[in-house]
Amino acid sequence: MGLLYALVAVGLAIIWGLMEMINFAHGEFMMLGMFGAWGLSAWLGWDPLITMVPLAVVMYGAGVLVYRVLMQKVQRGEMFTQIFATVGLFFFIQNGVVALFTSDYRFINASLLTRLSGANLTVGGVRIGVPLLVGGLIALALFLILYLLIDRTDFGLALQATAEDRDAAMLVGIRPQRMYAVAWGLGTALVAIAGVILANFFSVYPQAGLSFTVLAYAIVALGGFGSILGTLMAALLVGVVQSVTAAYLPPAFKDAFVFASYILIGLFRPQGLFGRF
Amino acid sequence: MAPLLQVERSTKRFGGLIANRDVSLAIEPGEIVGLIGPNGAGKTTLFNCISGALHPDEGRIVLDGADITHARPERVCRLGIARTWQVVRSFGRMTVLENVICGAFRRTSRVAAARARALELLAFTGLAGKEHVVAAALTLADKKRLEITRALATSPRLLLLDEAMSGLTPFETTAAVELVRRIHGELRLAICVVEHVMEVVMPLSHRVVVLDHGEKLTEGPPAEVARDERVITAYLGDRYRGRA
Amino acid sequence: MLGALVALLYPIPFERSGQIYYETVGFLVLLNAMLGIGWNIIGGWAGQFDFGPSIFFAIGAYTAALLTINLGWNAWLALLGAMVVSAAICAAVTYPVTKLRGHYFAIATVAMWMIAQPIGATWPLINGSQGLFIPVATGGGFVHGVLTMEFPGRGKGLGFYYLSLALFTITLLAARAIERSKWGFYFRAVRDDQDGAEAIGIDSRLYKVIARCLMAVVFAAGGTLYGFWALAVFPDQVLEVNWNILPMMAAVVGGLGRLWGPVLGAVVLIPISQLMATTLGTGPLAGRGIDLIIYGAIIMVIAGWRPNGLLSLPWSEWAARLRGHASASGKA
Repeated sequence: MGLLYALVAVGLAIIWGLMEMINFAHGEFMMLGMFGAWGLSAWLGWDPLITMVPLAVVMYGAGVLVYRVLMQKVQRGEMFTQIFATVGLFFFIQNGVVALFTSDYRFINASLLTRLSGANLTVGGVRIGVPLLVGGLIALALFLILYLLIDRTDFGLALQATAEDRDAAMLVGIRPQRMYAVAWGLGTALVAIAGVILANFFSVYPQAGLSFTVLAYAIVALGGFGSILGTLMAALLVGVVQSVTAAYLPPAFKDAFVFASYILIGLFRPQGLFGRF
Repeated sequence: MAPLLQVERSTKRFGGLIANRDVSLAIEPGEIVGLIGPNGAGKTTLFNCISGALHPDEGRIVLDGADITHARPERVCRLGIARTWQVVRSFGRMTVLENVICGAFRRTSRVAAARARALELLAFTGLAGKEHVVAAALTLADKKRLEITRALATSPRLLLLDEAMSGLTPFETTAAVELVRRIHGELRLAICVVEHVMEVVMPLSHRVVVLDHGEKLTEGPPAEVARDERVITAYLGDRYRGRA
Repeated sequence: MLGALVALLYPIPFERSGQIYYETVGFLVLLNAMLGIGWNIIGGWAGQFDFGPSIFFAIGAYTAALLTINLGWNAWLALLGAMVVSAAICAAVTYPVTKLRGHYFAIATVAMWMIAQPIGATWPLINGSQGLFIPVATGGGFVHGVLTMEFPGRGKGLGFYYLSLALFTITLLAARAIERSKWGFYFRAVRDDQDGAEAIGIDSRLYKVIARCLMAVVFAAGGTLYGFWALAVFPDQVLEVNWNILPMMAAVVGGLGRLWGPVLGAVVLIPISQLMATTLGTGPLAGRGIDLIIYGAIIMVIAGWRPNGLLSLPWSEWAARLRGHASASGKA
């Protein structure tokens, strides 16, 4: 579970941690991914594991579009306007989906992963559901790819450079607008993939986004800004903590604990566990 | 007479970099002390430690008997230290007058009284007539003047000027120096000036302290310091040898 | 002045024609305008963006309800009680968070709101998700209604309209006084340059708390008013996303940091939602959150093109041009 959180969070880690742009609508893109997976599954019978790829591409495009149309404008303005713009996006997307599909809960029935859902694997005394494991492995793989991309390639270096000092990056020939657009695209695509995978296990409904958004922020803050690895660690930690607390606290509180720790982290170690800033 | 400000062996590290090492310095009431040194010597770090924006890792800072080593900036201001910044800061969206009024609230809580004091100070520092200009729209020289005015509004006993002359034209610089002299003369404050412009610092200061690579190299009257071999090697260059 | 007159006389034509619904719209406009002014204090003046103010709305509603139901307090005393409790809780939870800046503070406020939701749904003291019900005495004339905030029957729309107008006016006047006071200056200083503010002796943490508590007090008052209007307090209702977003939207759309901004914003936005509700009625698109879609679009447009809100449009220029046209055509 933690790995899936990681996927959701890492999309954010790129946009926020690296690019310092707040996005309230982050979870909404995940929700769109979920709906996309459900839609394609229900109408065309395509398994989410397959639709994951085209959906990711589409969402990448959506992310870039959002950046170019909206975020570019507000980037130079005040911070509040940026946040506020994404709040608008949040309302727009969430309710757009409500308008088109109503708020009813929906499920994916016929995918590979749901069919596997009874199967469990026992590893070292801990029982792990196979579907979750598969989802987690996919997430891990993507994480690895992302990490390599950011840390080891020229492109990743360019992204980091733009995050640190936009003007300096311009001087060495990097086009910041393009970097930002790509960052947005990547972030959106990643979180949409997370949505596609999650759609196998969770009900699909328009309001699914917000708590994931806040959760993602908590994770990124916990893991430290600008650190992909940190985000991964933090997400795993959160996944574990959640499972543990779910055993002791009433279910409504499972997220609350994570949010409370966000506040605590903000107080005592604002740069997160592994942060660079 | 007991010094107004006493810095005792202040040390400040940033990770592996030692910005201030064992720096000690004293400022007497009413004197003007120049703080010089090459770029990166640790002057602004020292200012930040004194004013509370940063806290030294080791050592003590005492203002008139009160230990301010770990005090927050607002407490340091309340106790009588005001500062300006290397990169000029102002409340950009407020007018000149409003900026100074904010400072004046340090000494009174009534708006009318604060306004009166602000107007007085603006006249004193030469910004009269610009009260209703939005701070962000001022020229650099005026912004620096505003910063100083706002700092003065808090009725400090010690004023820390961090490169108040940098970025000014020669004409503006002369005006600024004249302002500093007037502040010292009429308001009788102690002033500590960080500067790179030698022609400004040397004539203005009663005493000069030299920092290099985080450590205090020497201190003394400007003429002596200017002749000190080590200082010249570190910073001043042969041109200033012997200049008083 | 004209506005005041309009506001005072507004409900009368509706009373005559029996369309009480519009009085309720007015009530909502005034309520949101009042909340918007409250939010403006922390968001517009102090520059700390609070995305979860509805927790204080809820605290206000619940406190007032509990005081009235369990202790039999008069409505207005309960209102004061609610305001005090809200301020106290706000001070307690905000102080630690003042170390955070900008985005981080904003997310923390959202986190607080999300933590509040399960608490609201499960806390026995406030009856969890089953809510609290405020008893209303039948009969009693208008004056009695004002004293107890209860207007049974037909007088309800009118009564609450004027109540909200009164509270709104008080809030507006209080905000104006604060804007011109030392606090007003200090809030804006913290917004413009927190470090610079500290260097001239402003305790930024303290003033952030004060600003947020002022907002908490206004929201508590609003929550109380709402509770008495709805005659019931449910966690979903009072912690709803709308109470978070609408006041903020009103403030931003109208003009962030301007005294009348939230008022203009509320006047523009609330009717949109109500219009949607009435025109779409029970048709196929009803309850589909169309109004929120529109809100979302408006937010994005404002953020992208007119971040300083509607008040920042060059009204005086346009007016002058209109007058110019008028006189030119008059002369010709």
